[in-house]
Amino acid sequence: MIYLDNAATSWPKPECVYEAVNRAMREWGGNPGRSGHKMSLAAGKVLEETRLLLARLFNADNPERIIFTLNATEAINLGLKGILQPGDHLVTGSMEHNSVSRPVEALKEMGITVTKVKTSPLTGINPVDVENAIQENTRMVVLNHASNVTGTLNPIAEIGDICRRHGVVFLVDAAQTAGIVPIDVQKMNISLLAFPGHKGLFGPQGVGGLYIAEDLCLNPLKQGGTGSESKSLLQPLFSPDRYESGTPNMPGIAGLGAGVRFILEQGIDRIRHKEHLLMTKLLSGLHNISRIIVFGPDTPEKRAAVVSIQIKGMDSLEAAMILDQAFEIAVRAGLHCAPDAHRTLGTLENGTIRISLSYYNSEEEIDILLQAVAAIAGQS
Amino acid sequence: MRPLDRYSRQTIFQEIGEEGQLKLLQSKVAVIGMGALGTVIANNLCRAGVGYLRLVDRDYVELSNLQRQTLYNEQDAADQMPKAVAAVKHLEKINSEIQIEAVLKDVNSGNVESILDGMDLVVDGTDNLETRLLINDACLKNNIPWVHGAALAGSGLTMNIIPGQTPCLRCLHPELPAPGSHPTCSTAGVLGMITGIIGCLESTEAIKILIGSPRINRKLCVVNIWYNQFTYLDIEQNPRCLACVEHKFEYLNSVKGSYTVSLCGRDSIQVIPAKAGDIDFQTMAEKLKNLGTVKYNPFTLNFSASNSNLEITLFQDGRAIIKNVKDDQTAKSAYAEYIGL
Ligand SMILES: [Zn+2]
Repeated sequence: MIYLDNAATSWPKPECVYEAVNRAMREWGGNPGRSGHKMSLAAGKVLEETRLLLARLFNADNPERIIFTLNATEAINLGLKGILQPGDHLVTGSMEHNSVSRPVEALKEMGITVTKVKTSPLTGINPVDVENAIQENTRMVVLNHASNVTGTLNPIAEIGDICRRHGVVFLVDAAQTAGIVPIDVQKMNISLLAFPGHKGLFGPQGVGGLYIAEDLCLNPLKQGGTGSESKSLLQPLFSPDRYESGTPNMPGIAGLGAGVRFILEQGIDRIRHKEHLLMTKLLSGLHNISRIIVFGPDTPEKRAAVVSIQIKGMDSLEAAMILDQAFEIAVRAGLHCAPDAHRTLGTLENGTIRISLSYYNSEEEIDILLQAVAAIAGQS
Repeated sequence: MRPLDRYSRQTIFQEIGEEGQLKLLQSKVAVIGMGALGTVIANNLCRAGVGYLRLVDRDYVELSNLQRQTLYNEQDAADQMPKAVAAVKHLEKINSEIQIEAVLKDVNSGNVESILDGMDLVVDGTDNLETRLLINDACLKNNIPWVHGAALAGSGLTMNIIPGQTPCLRCLHPELPAPGSHPTCSTAGVLGMITGIIGCLESTEAIKILIGSPRINRKLCVVNIWYNQFTYLDIEQNPRCLACVEHKFEYLNSVKGSYTVSLCGRDSIQVIPAKAGDIDFQTMAEKLKNLGTVKYNPFTLNFSASNSNLEITLFQDGRAIIKNVKDDQTAKSAYAEYIGL
């Protein structure tokens, strides 16, 4: 099986990730930060190490500002609902995933007004348009770092600068870039960075996180036990306890920690370079096949490791099924949970075939994929 | 009139008698599937005075059902009545002294045990082997006897499965056949007479089992009314049968069985049969050509039904995308109907 659905869940993982998940259950099996015994302490250590590694990866000064969630979706929900109040105004783009679009739609019901800035599938959102959309009551800008459909990168640093100047909270959905494209929350002026554990960061499914800038205090999505200030019936005010109620996903967090350590050891530039090579080969190969429409930017520099295509006159779902069953190639087809993006692209009817790469893919695999796509496009 | 008088022709029959009749009146029977077999069975059991009938089906009456599904009429089809509801409506007028319950559900591994809960006997009116093997598991596990029956074209078969006493259905079918490898009622047709005969045989056996008759059929009865054959075959228990010997209920525990996946975006559902097949598109196209438009290339076979907007894209390994269906069960039924499960 050639696995090219890494934008959904990366596979395979570095060996150290499997080991860490195993050890988390066998050796570090206690409840972190709750009891004083060795098992609990061992789990607590892994938890804090993972925070530290993530802080290093995203250049966050204080690891305690990294909090763990179920996935990026939960992190985005916390970022949005923890800040926005009725009467606030929110700016977002037209190429967002449902993890942003749906909570935003729900917030409208609560009296939050929203401006959706038209986003170019080729160049991303225009910073000037974002700045023009900011009003007196604008509290937040929320954008993806890269589209999960076309891979198009948004100019995050420029928009971060605009947000800083206007005193607006900047929430970034890094679902397609964390671990793949360098992110510096300080240089990029990111106030909230939502990331999944199971994609570019190589962790298991069921863990993600949110970086929360030092000056922000959010309303938590839930309240409960934190192992701290236990006498009080009020949720602690300090991070991470304020946002991490209940026992965390320790095997997931341990695996995520191992994945981030792997990325730091390999170097994110090396990872990005490898994916550039593969993407260049893929894009030029696709352009040489007739009947293929490629969406998004032409150059790998302008995109994450994701590309969407259509085969003219062919159902995307069917093409993906053929790749799976006749060629043993896993890709994803359909709307990729991002109807807004497909509305922008004009692909709401047929969806697209999405090919998403990882550090573990090879040039030979890209060759096999290109041959398969050519065979399907030639047959149907 | 004495309470049993309405059954006098049956109680005078010595093998049943008043004692047998009283047993029937106290019995609870589930009929799974209210198509051609199920309507015949339910009609017989209702008239015979089985005290409680649970009729299970989620389909709606269509005009093309009337050729063989004997309880329904044109008005039911026009009203798009659920089969189980239409059946209860008609049967209540035939025998108001028994209880009849309509269950508008498709049987699956999650609900089969609750559907069969409290039943003394189950009678098979289903149209696919996978559901039958699920019923087989559930009945063996809960020690409920069941009567299996099936019909296709001009032939049919039936056998009784009594836990602890007879071989089971899985003794006969240790594994599911490959998808698309066998005909279905839609592709091969079925005569209303054979479903009538098999349904009558099944309901006779049902009554024998309920009253504890020593004359219960312990063989596999195979009938072909077009080629004039009526045969009783000996069947043996498979000494390694996973279901009745080892009590490993793979269908009930969903290790086996086909499943479905909704595809992001449209009214399309992928059906993944329990077993991967190697479908010959030419043969399949031949089977489907009278039912709609068929096209195929080396990778896929596309079928559009002529009587609805249903579309099926079939892949060589047996997986299929079913288009223009609302839910998983409809997709699975369409697969069972046209490709075969
Ligand atoms: Zn058996």
